[in-house]
Amino acid sequence: MADSVSKEELVESIYQEVAKVQGKKQLKAGDLTKLMIKKYGDAVSKNDVKFAIKELIDSGRCVYTYFGGSFIELPHEEGAAKHI
Amino acid sequence: MSDTPLLDQLETGPWPSFIADLKRMAAKKPQIKDLLGQLERSYEEKITHWKHGGIVGVLGYGSGIIGRYSDLPDDFPGLEHFHTMRINQPSGWFYTTAALRMLCDIWDQYGSGVMNMHGSTGDIIFLGTTTDNLEPCFQALARNGFDIGGSGSAMRSPSCCCGLSRCEWSCYDTMEACYDITQEFQFELHRPGFPYKFKFKFSGCPNDCVAAVARADCSVIGVWKDDIRIDQAAVKAYAGGELKPKGGGAHVDKLDIQKDVVDLCPTQCMSWDGSTLKINNRECNHCMHCINLMPQALRPGTDKGATILLGSHAPILEGAQMSWVIVPFMRMEKPFDELKELGANIMEWWTENGKNRERVGELILRLGMREFCLAVGLDPVPQSIKTPRCNPFFFWHPEDFEAEAEGKTYIKL
Amino acid sequence: MAEDRITDIGPPHYEQFLPPVIKANYGKWKYHEIPRPGVLKHVSESGDELYTVRCGAGRLLTTDYVREVCDIADKFCDGHVRWTSRNNIEFLTPKKENVEPLIAAIKAQGWPVGGTGHAVTSIVHTQGWIHCHTPAIDASGIVKSVMDDLFEYFGEHRLPAQVRISLACCLNMCGAVHCSDIAILGIHRTPPKIFHDKLRHVCEIPTTIAACPTGAIRPHPDKSIKSVVVNEERCMYCGNCYTMCPAMPLFDPDKGGVALLIGGKVSNAKHPPMFSRLGVPYLPNNPPRWPEVCQAIRKILLAYVNGANKWERLGEWITRIGWSRFFEICDIPFTFQHIDDYKWAYDTYNTSMHFKF
Repeated sequence: MADSVSKEELVESIYQEVAKVQGKKQLKAGDLTKLMIKKYGDAVSKNDVKFAIKELIDSGRCVYTYFGGSFIELPHEEGAAKHI
Repeated sequence: MSDTPLLDQLETGPWPSFIADLKRMAAKKPQIKDLLGQLERSYEEKITHWKHGGIVGVLGYGSGIIGRYSDLPDDFPGLEHFHTMRINQPSGWFYTTAALRMLCDIWDQYGSGVMNMHGSTGDIIFLGTTTDNLEPCFQALARNGFDIGGSGSAMRSPSCCCGLSRCEWSCYDTMEACYDITQEFQFELHRPGFPYKFKFKFSGCPNDCVAAVARADCSVIGVWKDDIRIDQAAVKAYAGGELKPKGGGAHVDKLDIQKDVVDLCPTQCMSWDGSTLKINNRECNHCMHCINLMPQALRPGTDKGATILLGSHAPILEGAQMSWVIVPFMRMEKPFDELKELGANIMEWWTENGKNRERVGELILRLGMREFCLAVGLDPVPQSIKTPRCNPFFFWHPEDFEAEAEGKTYIKL
Repeated sequence: MAEDRITDIGPPHYEQFLPPVIKANYGKWKYHEIPRPGVLKHVSESGDELYTVRCGAGRLLTTDYVREVCDIADKFCDGHVRWTSRNNIEFLTPKKENVEPLIAAIKAQGWPVGGTGHAVTSIVHTQGWIHCHTPAIDASGIVKSVMDDLFEYFGEHRLPAQVRISLACCLNMCGAVHCSDIAILGIHRTPPKIFHDKLRHVCEIPTTIAACPTGAIRPHPDKSIKSVVVNEERCMYCGNCYTMCPAMPLFDPDKGGVALLIGGKVSNAKHPPMFSRLGVPYLPNNPPRWPEVCQAIRKILLAYVNGANKWERLGEWITRIGWSRFFEICDIPFTFQHIDDYKWAYDTYNTSMHFKF
């Protein structure tokens, strides 16, 4: 068994992945799961990531978006909401 | 001079007029006056005036709220933010008036008062509210026992026919299965984590009143394995014209048992000698035609369950698919563990392998049925195909050779 | 997050909404009759009876309308009512003596009773111009126009079999109409227009490019213009780029319109479920009454009524006579649009001598 990763670290790590590509690439929950398993190996499970994403969303630091598919992004004002 | 001369033309005619209905609401709510104004503009210009909002929602959920913004906010300020809420319907769309009045009160308080009964997937749809009203509306609904439904790359609100509640043909409890599966997958319904949408629909018999075969990734359609129950006296009453075909729902008053029933049986498994109807039940493919014509004489058998079919979706992107049989017969008893386990396995394999916006039916075509069946633990069954392949491009795996070494043959001689 | 916030409760359990006669006879129904169009009578093993009066409705309703439904249900049905999978309202009562006054009350409201058996029942449909961002056509207005036109077929069992009409206002088909006897489909026929000045303010270019399912969008070749261009030959008019980027509308008021897809079904009776196939590739988008759409549907429906055998669904009739005969009977010129050239086209080509002149 590899060392376990704390939930706080996992949440922060997911947040960093989202922040890194904001506006350039949209990540899905599945993409984040794969990224975390690649990064931490056996130390995290799909279920760990699932609940870490829930915590990230519940905290309001990230939001779900829908643009043809559902993604996880940083909260921002979308184009359609702008009064131009 | 009316502000809406084009829409006004939809107030005449015998079918109920949504324009007349909206006009009443416009007298009470200024945003509905704007809604009619913008709709009139669309009728003049023949284009929509809505923009998609992809971010608004309620805290914690990524489903059930669809953002809408008018592209004419200066002309129609009441529509600047006009979001949709999907509310998960009760199984079978049964209501008490107390529940309906409660829903109306909440929607009058927090929204436009305009709704769909129901949306295409089955949810109650509330059309038109502001971002600020989403959370209080959601919590008012939740305090009264209703929750938001699915949208986006999530489990969508499952739906079902009325099943055992009002149909003699239903082969399992569609309403309880729908409720139970909806509760089981609440996380997946509210928090989009799939490649794309995933729908469950539950029909009680092969008539498929909720169009599960066409519209659900996982279509659960009731079926029986034993003999059709026959009341021979009632068959004679149909033959004699005392009972009307389809219970009176047809354009003819009297059945010709030979021509209308026996000759149209797709498997030719029936015969009629003028007094007795015989069915070779082993050859019946449970199409329902004879039962539909003579509901008082024929009923599905008593050894009942459901067929699980997988993969249907509308044409986006590879072309429309209907679901195909993956499990010919599954017993459907509460707590539906077998279906839950299969469903969870399918979702896991699809989430692992699917691309963004790829439905599970498309993924199976891309990766192959063998890979799918092995991943979710299903054996090959002949009921899953119309015909075997006609090409010679079939491939062999080490497991096949191992099985042969242990004595497996491909025809028993 | 507030402590007392309620989430993940799911829908309410249906049992609390069932009429007592249904609770008592759940799973015990023996048979049903349709004593007159729009009225179902279900009889239980116990001898109990349940009467259902089916009432046609659009799916777009206000709370005022729903309260009127409640008033009728309170008066005649002890407060019980349901909706069907095709937007019909069903009033439920065990009391036979309530049926006639119930029908009278529904009709007094101006609502139609019918939609059972061999009828045209309510059209299931999508949002259209009332609330959608990618429609080519309106939904509720066309549905109202078509149902006004076919009204005589809603309240009577005059057809060879049931006819299910559905409408989706763009090819994304959120209404999944692709297995309907008659599907009314809104179609865009031109690629999106790009407002380059606006695009850089309201859209993310990389994610807009990624949103295209056919890979038709790329960065503008002039790097000083922060925008995108569309390879028009690849565009399938799905509008997903507009979902992502509001500076790329794909609406063309003159070119958008309606297609009719014909002959689908979901029931397994006799023939297996069938897809709807392209019947009429284009009809003009002509609000507020869409007369060409109404006339085309009526023409196809009448041809079916005249030609079909008893119990034949529209698609079964066409399968029997052949599509070439169908096009001839309905005066529909055959076009390149009718010949499939998408992914599974070969399945639709005729490889036999079984055809007619």
